[in-house]
Amino acid sequence: MVDYSKIRRNVVGIEHDRVTNVSSTDFPGYYPGEDHSWNLDKFKENFRSHISYLTDLSCSFDLIGVDSSIANAFRRIMIAEVPTLAVEYVYIENNTSIIQDEVLAHRLGLIPLKANPDYLRWFKKDDPDFEPTDYDTVVLHLSAKCTTNSNAPPGSTDPKVLYNGANVYASVIQFEPQGRQSEWFPDGIAPANPDVLIAKLRPGQEIDLTMHCILGIGQDHAKFSPVATASYRLLPTIEIIGPPLTGELAQKFKSCFPKGVVGINSKGEAYVKDARKDTVSREVLRHPEFEGRVKLGRLRDHFIFNVESTGAMTPDEIFIKSVQLLKKKCQILRKFDLRT
Amino acid sequence: MNRESFVPPTSQTSSGAAAAGRAFQPVQAITYLCASCAAPNTLNRSDPVRCKECGHRVLYKQRTRRMVQFEAR
Amino acid sequence: MPSAANENEAAGSSDVPQAKEEVVDEEMAGGEFEFDGEIDPNKIQILPGASEDGTAASFRILKEDHTMGNALRYMIMKNPDVEFCGYSIPHPSEAAVNLRIQTYGDITAIQALEKGLDDLMDLCDHIESEFRKEVEAGDYSTVEP
Repeated sequence: MVDYSKIRRNVVGIEHDRVTNVSSTDFPGYYPGEDHSWNLDKFKENFRSHISYLTDLSCSFDLIGVDSSIANAFRRIMIAEVPTLAVEYVYIENNTSIIQDEVLAHRLGLIPLKANPDYLRWFKKDDPDFEPTDYDTVVLHLSAKCTTNSNAPPGSTDPKVLYNGANVYASVIQFEPQGRQSEWFPDGIAPANPDVLIAKLRPGQEIDLTMHCILGIGQDHAKFSPVATASYRLLPTIEIIGPPLTGELAQKFKSCFPKGVVGINSKGEAYVKDARKDTVSREVLRHPEFEGRVKLGRLRDHFIFNVESTGAMTPDEIFIKSVQLLKKKCQILRKFDLRT
Repeated sequence: MNRESFVPPTSQTSSGAAAAGRAFQPVQAITYLCASCAAPNTLNRSDPVRCKECGHRVLYKQRTRRMVQFEAR
Repeated sequence: MPSAANENEAAGSSDVPQAKEEVVDEEMAGGEFEFDGEIDPNKIQILPGASEDGTAASFRILKEDHTMGNALRYMIMKNPDVEFCGYSIPHPSEAAVNLRIQTYGDITAIQALEKGLDDLMDLCDHIESEFRKEVEAGDYSTVEP
Protein backbone atom coordinates (compact mmCIF):
# COMPACT_ATOMS: atom_id res chain seq x y z
CA MET A 1 0.00 0.00 0.00
CA VAL A 2 1.22 3.45 -0.85
CA ASP A 3 1.87 5.57 2.20
CA TYR A 4 -0.03 8.64 1.13
CA SER A 5 0.70 10.51 4.30
CA LYS A 6 4.43 10.48 3.51
CA ILE A 7 3.92 11.93 0.03
CA ARG A 8 1.17 14.27 1.16
CA ARG A 9 3.30 15.94 3.80
CA ASN A 10 5.42 17.54 1.06
CA VAL A 11 2.38 18.97 -0.70
CA VAL A 12 0.79 22.25 0.27
CA GLY A 13 -2.94 21.83 -0.39
CA ILE A 14 -4.76 24.46 -2.39
CA GLU A 15 -8.51 24.76 -1.96
CA HIS A 16 -10.85 27.34 -3.42
CA ASP A 17 -10.69 29.59 -0.38
CA ARG A 18 -7.69 28.38 1.63
CA VAL A 19 -4.31 26.73 1.70
CA THR A 20 -3.68 23.70 3.87
CA ASN A 21 -0.65 21.88 5.25
CA VAL A 22 1.50 24.96 5.06
CA SER A 23 4.31 24.34 7.55
CA SER A 24 7.38 22.18 7.18
CA THR A 25 7.38 19.13 9.41
CA ASP A 26 10.82 17.74 8.65
CA PHE A 27 12.14 18.14 12.18
CA PRO A 28 13.37 15.49 14.60
CA GLY A 29 10.63 14.38 16.96
CA TYR A 30 7.74 15.35 14.70
CA TYR A 31 7.04 11.86 13.36
CA PRO A 32 7.66 9.03 15.83
CA GLY A 33 10.31 6.59 14.69
CA GLU A 34 11.54 8.77 11.82
CA ASP A 35 14.91 10.42 11.70
CA HIS A 36 14.75 13.98 10.47
CA SER A 37 17.97 15.24 12.02
CA TRP A 38 20.35 17.15 9.78
CA ASN A 39 22.42 14.80 7.67
CA LEU A 40 24.64 16.26 5.00
CA ASP A 41 24.83 13.04 2.98
CA LYS A 42 21.06 12.70 3.02
CA PHE A 43 20.75 16.33 1.94
CA LYS A 44 23.20 15.78 -0.91
CA GLU A 45 21.20 12.76 -2.01
CA ASN A 46 17.92 14.70 -2.04
CA PHE A 47 19.13 18.03 -3.36
CA ARG A 48 18.93 18.77 -7.05
CA SER A 49 19.30 21.94 -9.02
CA HIS A 50 18.35 22.51 -12.61
CA ILE A 51 18.60 25.56 -14.84
CA SER A 52 15.72 26.10 -17.27
CA TYR A 53 17.26 29.04 -19.07
CA LEU A 54 20.10 31.45 -18.51
CA THR A 55 20.74 34.63 -20.46
CA ASP A 56 22.82 37.72 -19.71
CA LEU A 57 19.88 39.39 -18.04
CA SER A 58 17.51 36.73 -16.77
CA CYS A 59 17.49 33.21 -15.48
CA SER A 60 15.10 30.57 -14.21
CA PHE A 61 16.29 27.62 -12.17
CA ASP A 62 14.92 25.02 -9.79
CA LEU A 63 16.18 24.29 -6.32
CA ILE A 64 14.77 20.96 -5.19
CA GLY A 65 15.10 19.52 -1.71
CA VAL A 66 15.66 22.65 0.34
CA ASP A 67 13.48 24.25 2.97
CA SER A 68 11.70 27.53 2.38
CA SER A 69 13.81 29.21 5.07
CA ILE A 70 16.94 28.49 3.03
CA ALA A 71 15.42 29.40 -0.35
CA ASN A 72 14.04 32.59 1.14
CA ALA A 73 17.45 33.51 2.55
CA PHE A 74 18.98 33.30 -0.94
CA ARG A 75 16.17 35.39 -2.40
CA ARG A 76 16.53 38.03 0.28
CA ILE A 77 20.31 38.17 -0.08
CA MET A 78 20.07 38.55 -3.87
CA ILE A 79 17.77 41.54 -3.44
CA ALA A 80 19.32 43.29 -0.48
CA GLU A 81 22.85 42.12 0.22
CA VAL A 82 24.81 41.37 -2.94
CA PRO A 83 27.03 44.45 -3.41
CA THR A 84 27.21 46.41 -6.63
CA LEU A 85 28.64 49.69 -7.84
CA ALA A 86 26.42 52.77 -8.17
CA VAL A 87 26.77 56.52 -8.40
CA GLU A 88 26.75 57.99 -4.90
CA TYR A 89 28.19 61.51 -5.15
CA VAL A 90 27.48 63.91 -7.98
CA TYR A 91 29.55 67.08 -8.41
CA ILE A 92 27.63 69.37 -10.74
CA GLU A 93 29.74 71.99 -12.45
CA ASN A 94 27.00 73.11 -14.77
CA ASN A 95 23.42 72.10 -15.37
CA THR A 96 21.21 74.45 -17.31
CA SER A 97 18.75 71.75 -18.34
CA ILE A 98 15.18 71.89 -17.05
CA ILE A 99 15.81 68.91 -14.80
CA GLN A 100 16.84 70.11 -11.35
CA ASP A 101 20.25 69.32 -9.90
CA GLU A 102 19.01 67.04 -7.12
CA VAL A 103 16.61 65.19 -9.44
CA LEU A 104 19.38 64.73 -11.99
CA ALA A 105 21.68 63.38 -9.26
CA HIS A 106 19.00 60.94 -8.16
CA ARG A 107 18.46 59.75 -11.74
CA LEU A 108 22.17 59.21 -12.22
CA GLY A 109 22.31 57.11 -9.07
CA LEU A 110 19.71 54.69 -10.42
CA ILE A 111 21.64 53.88 -13.62
CA PRO A 112 22.94 50.28 -13.35
CA LEU A 113 26.69 50.08 -13.93
CA LYS A 114 28.49 47.06 -15.30
CA ALA A 115 31.55 46.52 -13.14
CA ASN A 116 33.04 43.61 -11.28
CA PRO A 117 32.61 44.52 -7.58
CA ASP A 118 35.32 42.03 -6.57
CA TYR A 119 38.01 44.50 -7.56
CA LEU A 120 36.70 47.20 -5.26
CA ARG A 121 36.60 47.74 -1.53
CA TRP A 122 34.10 49.46 0.72
CA PHE A 123 34.12 53.22 0.78
CA LYS A 124 33.98 54.06 4.49
CA LYS A 125 31.12 56.51 4.40
CA ASP A 126 30.77 57.03 8.14
CA ASP A 127 34.43 58.00 8.59
CA PRO A 128 34.68 61.77 7.92
CA ASP A 129 38.45 61.54 7.40
CA PHE A 130 38.16 58.80 4.79
CA GLU A 131 39.64 59.90 1.50
CA PRO A 132 38.50 58.23 -1.71
CA THR A 133 41.15 56.14 -3.43
CA ASP A 134 41.27 54.10 -6.60
CA TYR A 135 40.48 51.03 -4.43
CA ASP A 136 37.02 52.20 -3.50
CA THR A 137 35.89 54.99 -5.82
CA VAL A 138 35.17 54.99 -9.53
CA VAL A 139 35.02 58.36 -11.26
CA LEU A 140 32.65 58.94 -14.17
CA HIS A 141 32.14 62.08 -16.15
CA LEU A 142 29.15 63.38 -18.06
CA SER A 143 29.21 66.40 -20.29
CA ALA A 144 26.55 67.14 -22.85
CA LYS A 145 25.56 70.26 -24.75
CA CYS A 146 22.68 70.90 -27.08
CA THR A 147 23.00 73.09 -30.18
CA THR A 148 20.71 74.05 -33.04
CA ASN A 149 21.12 71.99 -36.17
CA SER A 150 21.70 74.54 -38.92
CA ASN A 151 21.27 71.81 -41.55
CA ALA A 152 17.77 70.94 -40.43
CA PRO A 153 15.32 71.02 -43.33
CA PRO A 154 12.89 73.95 -43.10
CA GLY A 155 9.58 73.12 -41.46
CA SER A 156 10.91 70.15 -39.50
CA THR A 157 9.46 69.72 -36.01
CA ASP A 158 11.28 66.66 -34.71
CA PRO A 159 13.61 67.76 -31.88
CA LYS A 160 16.06 65.06 -32.94
CA VAL A 161 16.35 66.76 -36.35
CA LEU A 162 16.14 70.35 -35.18
CA TYR A 163 18.82 70.08 -32.52
CA ASN A 164 22.10 68.31 -31.97
CA GLY A 165 22.27 66.37 -28.73
CA ALA A 166 18.68 66.95 -27.66
CA ASN A 167 18.60 63.66 -25.73
CA VAL A 168 21.30 62.75 -23.23
CA TYR A 169 21.70 58.98 -22.98
CA ALA A 170 23.73 56.92 -20.52
CA SER A 171 26.15 56.08 -23.34
CA VAL A 172 27.56 59.63 -23.01
CA ILE A 173 28.96 58.79 -19.56
CA GLN A 174 32.74 58.50 -19.66
CA PHE A 175 34.86 56.37 -17.32
CA GLU A 176 37.89 58.18 -15.91
CA PRO A 177 40.24 55.49 -14.60
CA GLN A 178 42.08 56.47 -11.42
CA GLY A 179 45.39 54.97 -10.34
CA ARG A 180 45.52 51.30 -11.31
CA GLN A 181 41.87 51.06 -12.33
CA SER A 182 42.71 50.80 -16.03
CA GLU A 183 44.56 47.61 -15.03
CA TRP A 184 41.67 46.18 -12.99
CA PHE A 185 38.95 47.21 -15.42
CA PRO A 186 40.52 46.78 -18.87
CA ASP A 187 37.09 46.99 -20.50
CA GLY A 188 36.24 50.12 -18.56
CA ILE A 189 33.16 50.78 -16.46
CA ALA A 190 30.01 51.81 -18.26
CA PRO A 191 26.24 51.79 -17.77
CA ALA A 192 24.82 48.30 -18.30
CA ASN A 193 22.30 49.74 -20.74
CA PRO A 194 23.56 52.55 -23.01
CA ASP A 195 20.03 53.67 -23.91
CA VAL A 196 18.93 55.02 -20.52
CA LEU A 197 17.57 58.52 -21.10
CA ILE A 198 19.09 60.86 -18.51
CA ALA A 199 17.77 64.28 -19.62
CA LYS A 200 16.38 66.18 -22.57
CA LEU A 201 18.06 69.41 -23.66
CA ARG A 202 17.24 72.39 -25.85
CA PRO A 203 19.80 74.61 -27.63
CA GLY A 204 22.08 76.44 -25.21
CA GLN A 205 21.42 73.98 -22.38
CA GLU A 206 24.36 72.12 -20.97
CA ILE A 207 25.20 69.46 -18.42
CA ASP A 208 28.71 69.07 -17.06
CA LEU A 209 29.26 66.92 -14.00
CA THR A 210 31.51 64.39 -12.31
CA MET A 211 30.24 61.31 -10.49
CA HIS A 212 31.84 59.22 -7.76
CA CYS A 213 30.63 55.61 -7.64
CA ILE A 214 31.03 53.38 -4.60
CA LEU A 215 30.06 49.86 -3.54
CA GLY A 216 26.83 49.43 -1.63
CA ILE A 217 24.02 46.98 -0.91
CA GLY A 218 20.32 47.05 -1.69
CA GLN A 219 19.53 47.22 2.03
CA ASP A 220 21.00 50.75 2.06
CA HIS A 221 19.50 51.94 -1.23
CA ALA A 222 17.67 50.14 -4.05
CA LYS A 223 20.13 51.52 -6.61
CA PHE A 224 22.71 49.04 -5.25
CA SER A 225 20.47 46.00 -5.77
CA PRO A 226 21.82 43.79 -8.58
CA VAL A 227 18.40 42.36 -9.41
CA ALA A 228 15.31 43.82 -10.99
CA THR A 229 13.33 40.91 -9.56
CA ALA A 230 14.36 37.83 -7.65
CA SER A 231 11.45 35.58 -6.77
CA TYR A 232 10.47 31.96 -6.34
CA ARG A 233 7.30 29.93 -6.56
CA LEU A 234 6.56 26.37 -5.56
CA LEU A 235 6.03 23.75 -8.25
CA PRO A 236 2.27 23.27 -8.73
CA THR A 237 0.70 19.79 -8.65
CA ILE A 238 -2.61 18.73 -10.19
CA GLU A 239 -4.18 15.39 -9.40
CA ILE A 240 -7.29 14.07 -11.15
CA ILE A 241 -9.31 11.93 -8.76
CA GLY A 242 -11.66 9.10 -9.70
CA PRO A 243 -12.66 7.92 -13.18
CA PRO A 244 -11.11 9.73 -16.19
CA LEU A 245 -12.74 12.95 -17.34
CA THR A 246 -13.94 12.48 -20.91
CA GLY A 247 -15.78 14.30 -23.70
CA GLU A 248 -17.16 17.73 -23.00
CA LEU A 249 -16.15 17.52 -19.35
CA ALA A 250 -12.55 16.94 -20.40
CA GLN A 251 -12.66 19.96 -22.71
CA LYS A 252 -14.05 22.12 -19.94
CA PHE A 253 -11.43 20.81 -17.54
CA LYS A 254 -8.70 21.68 -20.04
CA SER A 255 -10.04 25.20 -20.50
CA CYS A 256 -9.81 25.81 -16.75
CA PHE A 257 -6.00 25.83 -16.99
CA PRO A 258 -3.48 27.85 -19.02
CA LYS A 259 -2.39 26.43 -22.39
CA GLY A 260 -0.32 23.28 -22.20
CA VAL A 261 -1.18 22.31 -18.61
CA VAL A 262 -3.85 19.75 -19.40
CA GLY A 263 -3.90 17.55 -22.51
CA ILE A 264 -6.50 15.17 -23.96
CA ASN A 265 -5.26 11.75 -25.04
CA SER A 266 -6.46 9.58 -27.91
CA LYS A 267 -9.20 8.08 -25.74
CA GLY A 268 -10.60 11.57 -25.11
CA GLU A 269 -9.46 11.53 -21.47
CA ALA A 270 -8.02 14.60 -19.83
CA TYR A 271 -4.54 14.15 -18.33
CA VAL A 272 -2.07 16.49 -16.62
CA LYS A 273 0.52 17.33 -19.27
CA ASP A 274 2.66 19.97 -17.56
CA ALA A 275 1.63 21.18 -14.11
CA ARG A 276 4.65 23.54 -14.00
CA LYS A 277 2.94 25.81 -16.52
CA ASP A 278 -0.05 26.26 -14.20
CA THR A 279 -0.53 29.68 -12.68
CA VAL A 280 -2.69 28.15 -9.91
CA SER A 281 -5.60 30.42 -10.73
CA ARG A 282 -7.96 27.88 -9.05
CA GLU A 283 -10.47 28.38 -11.85
CA VAL A 284 -11.18 24.63 -11.84
CA LEU A 285 -12.36 24.82 -8.21
CA ARG A 286 -15.13 27.28 -9.13
CA HIS A 287 -17.07 24.69 -11.14
CA PRO A 288 -19.33 22.31 -9.19
CA GLU A 289 -18.86 19.47 -11.73
CA PHE A 290 -15.20 19.19 -10.74
CA GLU A 291 -15.88 19.13 -7.00
CA GLY A 292 -13.96 16.22 -5.55
CA ARG A 293 -12.54 15.35 -8.97
CA VAL A 294 -9.34 17.34 -8.74
CA LYS A 295 -6.74 18.11 -6.10
CA LEU A 296 -4.48 21.15 -6.52
CA GLY A 297 -1.28 21.55 -4.56
CA ARG A 298 2.26 22.81 -4.54
CA LEU A 299 5.43 20.91 -3.73
CA ARG A 300 6.84 22.35 -0.55
CA ASP A 301 10.50 21.69 -1.33
CA HIS A 302 10.56 22.45 -5.06
CA PHE A 303 11.44 26.09 -5.70
CA ILE A 304 11.30 27.64 -9.15
CA PHE A 305 13.47 30.74 -8.97
CA ASN A 306 13.23 33.60 -11.38
CA VAL A 307 16.08 36.10 -11.32
CA GLU A 308 16.24 39.18 -13.53
CA SER A 309 19.50 41.10 -13.40
CA THR A 310 19.81 44.86 -13.77
CA GLY A 311 22.86 44.16 -15.93
CA ALA A 312 25.48 44.68 -13.25
CA MET A 313 26.26 40.94 -13.20
CA THR A 314 24.88 37.84 -14.86
CA PRO A 315 22.00 36.22 -12.91
CA ASP A 316 23.97 33.03 -12.19
CA GLU A 317 26.74 35.13 -10.65
CA ILE A 318 24.19 36.88 -8.46
CA PHE A 319 22.84 33.57 -7.16
CA ILE A 320 26.29 32.15 -6.50
CA LYS A 321 27.21 35.35 -4.65
CA SER A 322 24.09 35.02 -2.51
CA VAL A 323 25.08 31.49 -1.49
CA GLN A 324 28.63 32.64 -0.71
CA LEU A 325 27.28 35.54 1.31
CA LEU A 326 25.08 33.31 3.47
CA LYS A 327 28.13 31.20 4.18
CA LYS A 328 30.19 34.29 4.98
CA LYS A 329 27.56 35.46 7.47
CA CYS A 330 27.86 32.11 9.24
CA GLN A 331 31.65 32.33 9.20
CA ILE A 332 31.56 35.74 10.84
CA LEU A 333 29.28 34.49 13.63
CA ARG A 334 31.40 31.36 14.00
CA LYS A 335 34.48 33.49 14.76
CA PHE A 336 33.04 34.59 18.08
CA ASP A 337 33.95 32.61 21.14
CA LEU A 338 30.82 32.63 23.26
CA ARG A 339 32.04 30.04 25.74
CA THR A 340 33.91 32.48 27.98
CA MET B 1 31.36 103.32 12.61
CA ASN B 2 28.24 104.57 14.35
CA ARG B 3 25.16 105.80 12.56
CA GLU B 4 25.81 109.48 13.17
CA SER B 5 29.26 109.56 11.63
CA PHE B 6 28.19 107.81 8.42
CA VAL B 7 28.27 110.07 5.37
CA PRO B 8 26.45 108.72 2.34
CA PRO B 9 28.73 108.92 -0.70
CA THR B 10 27.56 111.30 -3.42
CA SER B 11 28.74 111.75 -6.98
CA GLN B 12 29.58 115.41 -6.34
CA THR B 13 31.83 114.96 -3.36
CA SER B 14 35.15 113.20 -3.78
CA SER B 15 35.25 112.28 -0.06
CA GLY B 16 34.17 108.64 -0.62
CA ALA B 17 36.99 106.69 -2.25
CA ALA B 18 34.63 104.02 -3.54
CA ALA B 19 32.36 106.52 -5.17
CA ALA B 20 35.26 108.25 -6.88
CA GLY B 21 36.73 105.00 -8.20
CA ARG B 22 33.50 103.60 -9.53
CA ALA B 23 32.95 106.35 -12.05
CA PHE B 24 36.15 105.62 -13.95
CA GLN B 25 36.34 101.84 -13.55
CA PRO B 26 35.30 100.10 -16.79
CA VAL B 27 32.16 98.06 -16.11
CA GLN B 28 32.79 94.33 -16.63
CA ALA B 29 30.96 93.07 -19.66
CA ILE B 30 28.69 90.09 -18.88
CA THR B 31 27.84 87.33 -21.29
CA TYR B 32 24.14 86.49 -21.64
CA LEU B 33 22.44 83.77 -23.62
CA CYS B 34 19.70 84.54 -26.08
CA ALA B 35 16.43 82.93 -25.05
CA SER B 36 15.54 82.30 -28.67
CA CYS B 37 18.71 81.18 -30.45
CA ALA B 38 21.05 80.46 -27.49
CA ALA B 39 23.78 82.65 -28.95
CA PRO B 40 26.14 84.18 -26.37
CA ASN B 41 25.84 87.98 -26.17
CA THR B 42 28.40 90.14 -24.42
CA LEU B 43 26.65 93.25 -23.22
CA ASN B 44 28.03 96.45 -21.73
CA ARG B 45 26.20 98.75 -19.39
CA SER B 46 24.66 100.95 -22.02
CA ASP B 47 24.04 98.31 -24.68
CA PRO B 48 20.45 97.63 -25.67
CA VAL B 49 19.02 94.33 -24.41
CA ARG B 50 18.87 92.61 -27.75
CA CYS B 51 20.45 89.52 -29.26
CA LYS B 52 23.15 90.36 -31.76
CA GLU B 53 22.31 87.28 -33.83
CA CYS B 54 18.55 87.24 -34.05
CA GLY B 55 17.36 90.44 -32.44
CA HIS B 56 15.37 88.64 -29.77
CA ARG B 57 14.78 90.83 -26.74
CA VAL B 58 14.91 88.20 -23.99
CA LEU B 59 18.36 87.32 -22.67
CA TYR B 60 19.23 84.96 -19.85
CA LYS B 61 22.04 85.34 -17.38
CA GLN B 62 24.28 82.28 -17.35
CA ARG B 63 24.29 79.89 -14.41
CA THR B 64 27.13 80.28 -11.93
CA ARG B 65 30.05 77.96 -12.58
CA ARG B 66 30.35 77.08 -8.92
CA MET B 67 30.45 73.33 -8.36
CA VAL B 68 27.67 71.89 -6.18
CA GLN B 69 27.73 68.48 -4.57
CA PHE B 70 24.71 66.15 -4.35
CA GLU B 71 24.08 62.69 -2.99
CA ALA B 72 22.53 60.43 -5.60
CA ARG B 73 19.73 59.26 -3.29
CA MET C 1 36.65 70.26 -7.09
CA PRO C 2 35.96 67.49 -4.61
CA SER C 3 38.79 65.37 -3.37
CA ALA C 4 39.02 63.11 -6.35
CA ALA C 5 40.14 59.52 -6.13
CA ASN C 6 43.75 59.95 -5.25
CA GLU C 7 45.91 57.69 -7.28
CA ASN C 8 49.13 58.76 -5.61
CA GLU C 9 47.96 57.94 -2.15
CA ALA C 10 46.64 54.58 -3.24
CA ALA C 11 49.69 53.66 -5.27
CA GLY C 12 52.05 54.77 -2.54
CA SER C 13 50.37 52.74 0.17
CA SER C 14 49.41 49.74 -1.90
CA ASP C 15 52.27 47.51 -0.82
CA VAL C 16 52.78 48.36 2.81
CA PRO C 17 49.39 48.37 4.55
CA GLN C 18 47.99 45.56 2.42
CA ALA C 19 50.27 43.03 4.03
CA LYS C 20 48.90 43.90 7.45
CA GLU C 21 45.27 43.44 6.56
CA GLU C 22 43.23 40.47 7.58
CA VAL C 23 42.45 37.59 5.30
CA VAL C 24 38.78 38.59 5.26
CA ASP C 25 39.67 41.94 3.72
CA GLU C 26 41.79 40.34 1.04
CA GLU C 27 38.81 38.49 -0.27
CA MET C 28 36.04 40.05 -2.23
CA ALA C 29 34.20 42.90 -0.65
CA GLY C 30 31.00 40.94 -1.19
CA GLY C 31 31.77 39.00 1.92
CA GLU C 32 31.22 41.98 4.17
CA PHE C 33 27.86 43.48 4.79
CA GLU C 34 28.86 46.10 7.34
CA PHE C 35 29.87 49.31 5.69
CA ASP C 36 33.14 49.63 7.54
CA GLY C 37 34.19 46.13 6.52
CA GLU C 38 35.17 45.44 10.12
CA ILE C 39 33.33 43.04 12.36
CA ASP C 40 31.51 44.56 15.29
CA PRO C 41 32.92 43.00 18.50
CA ASN C 42 29.35 42.89 19.85
CA LYS C 43 27.94 41.20 16.74
CA ILE C 44 26.59 38.37 18.87
CA GLN C 45 25.95 38.41 22.58
CA ILE C 46 24.31 36.09 25.09
CA LEU C 47 21.31 37.80 26.65
CA PRO C 48 20.95 37.75 30.44
CA GLY C 49 18.78 34.96 31.84
CA ALA C 50 20.51 31.92 30.36
CA SER C 51 20.16 28.78 32.43
CA GLU C 52 23.00 27.93 34.78
CA ASP C 53 24.12 24.83 32.92
CA GLY C 54 23.99 26.67 29.58
CA THR C 55 21.41 24.34 28.03
CA ALA C 56 19.00 27.21 27.42
CA ALA C 57 20.06 30.63 26.27
CA SER C 58 19.01 33.60 24.15
CA PHE C 59 21.37 35.34 21.78
CA ARG C 60 21.22 38.79 20.29
CA ILE C 61 22.72 39.10 16.81
CA LEU C 62 23.20 42.65 15.56
CA LYS C 63 22.68 43.82 11.98
CA GLU C 64 20.86 40.64 11.00
CA ASP C 65 17.26 39.99 9.97
CA HIS C 66 14.96 37.19 8.79
CA THR C 67 17.62 36.16 6.25
CA MET C 68 19.91 34.73 8.92
CA GLY C 69 17.29 34.40 11.65
CA ASN C 70 14.99 31.99 9.83
CA ALA C 71 17.72 30.00 8.06
CA LEU C 72 19.61 29.53 11.31
CA ARG C 73 16.43 28.65 13.22
CA TYR C 74 15.70 25.91 10.67
CA MET C 75 19.19 24.41 10.88
CA ILE C 76 19.20 24.47 14.69
CA MET C 77 15.75 22.86 14.80
CA LYS C 78 17.16 20.03 12.65
CA ASN C 79 19.39 19.10 15.60
CA PRO C 80 17.80 16.21 17.57
CA ASP C 81 19.36 17.47 20.81
CA VAL C 82 17.47 20.75 20.50
CA GLU C 83 14.10 20.96 22.21
CA PHE C 84 13.20 24.46 21.03
CA CYS C 85 14.57 27.12 18.74
CA GLY C 86 12.93 30.35 17.70
CA TYR C 87 13.85 33.82 16.64
CA SER C 88 12.31 37.25 16.74
CA ILE C 89 13.03 40.79 15.66
CA PRO C 90 11.94 42.63 18.81
CA HIS C 91 11.60 46.01 17.16
CA PRO C 92 11.54 46.79 13.42
CA SER C 93 13.71 49.87 13.76
CA GLU C 94 16.46 48.02 15.59
CA ALA C 95 18.65 45.95 13.28
CA ALA C 96 18.88 42.96 15.58
CA VAL C 97 17.63 39.39 15.89
CA ASN C 98 16.98 37.56 19.16
CA LEU C 99 17.53 33.81 18.90
CA ARG C 100 16.33 31.43 21.61
CA ILE C 101 17.74 27.94 21.95
CA GLN C 102 16.72 25.28 24.51
CA THR C 103 18.25 21.83 24.41
CA TYR C 104 17.22 18.55 26.00
CA GLY C 105 20.34 18.79 28.19
CA ASP C 106 22.93 16.76 26.33
CA ILE C 107 24.55 19.82 24.70
CA THR C 108 24.70 23.51 25.54
CA ALA C 109 22.84 26.18 23.61
CA ILE C 110 26.17 27.53 22.37
CA GLN C 111 27.10 24.12 20.97
CA ALA C 112 23.74 23.91 19.24
CA LEU C 113 24.27 27.36 17.71
CA GLU C 114 27.75 26.41 16.52
CA LYS C 115 26.49 23.18 14.98
CA GLY C 116 23.71 25.12 13.27
CA LEU C 117 26.22 27.52 11.75
CA ASP C 118 28.50 24.69 10.63
CA ASP C 119 25.60 22.80 9.05
CA LEU C 120 24.41 25.92 7.27
CA MET C 121 27.90 26.44 5.85
CA ASP C 122 28.02 22.82 4.62
CA LEU C 123 24.65 23.32 2.94
CA CYS C 124 25.85 26.50 1.22
CA ASP C 125 28.98 24.76 -0.03
CA HIS C 126 26.97 21.94 -1.56
CA ILE C 127 24.39 24.21 -3.20
CA GLU C 128 27.13 26.40 -4.65
CA SER C 129 29.08 23.48 -6.12
CA GLU C 130 25.93 21.85 -7.50
CA PHE C 131 24.77 25.09 -9.11
CA ARG C 132 28.25 25.72 -10.54
CA LYS C 133 28.23 22.22 -12.03
CA GLU C 134 24.84 22.92 -13.57
CA VAL C 135 26.03 26.20 -15.11
CA GLU C 136 29.17 24.57 -16.51
CA ALA C 137 27.23 21.59 -17.89
CA GLY C 138 25.39 24.07 -20.09
CA ASP C 139 22.30 21.88 -20.25
CA TYR C 140 19.89 24.79 -20.52
CA SER C 141 18.38 27.18 -23.01
CA THR C 142 20.21 30.45 -23.59
CA VAL C 143 17.13 32.31 -24.75
CA GLU C 144 14.24 33.44 -22.64
CA PRO C 145 11.07 31.52 -23.51
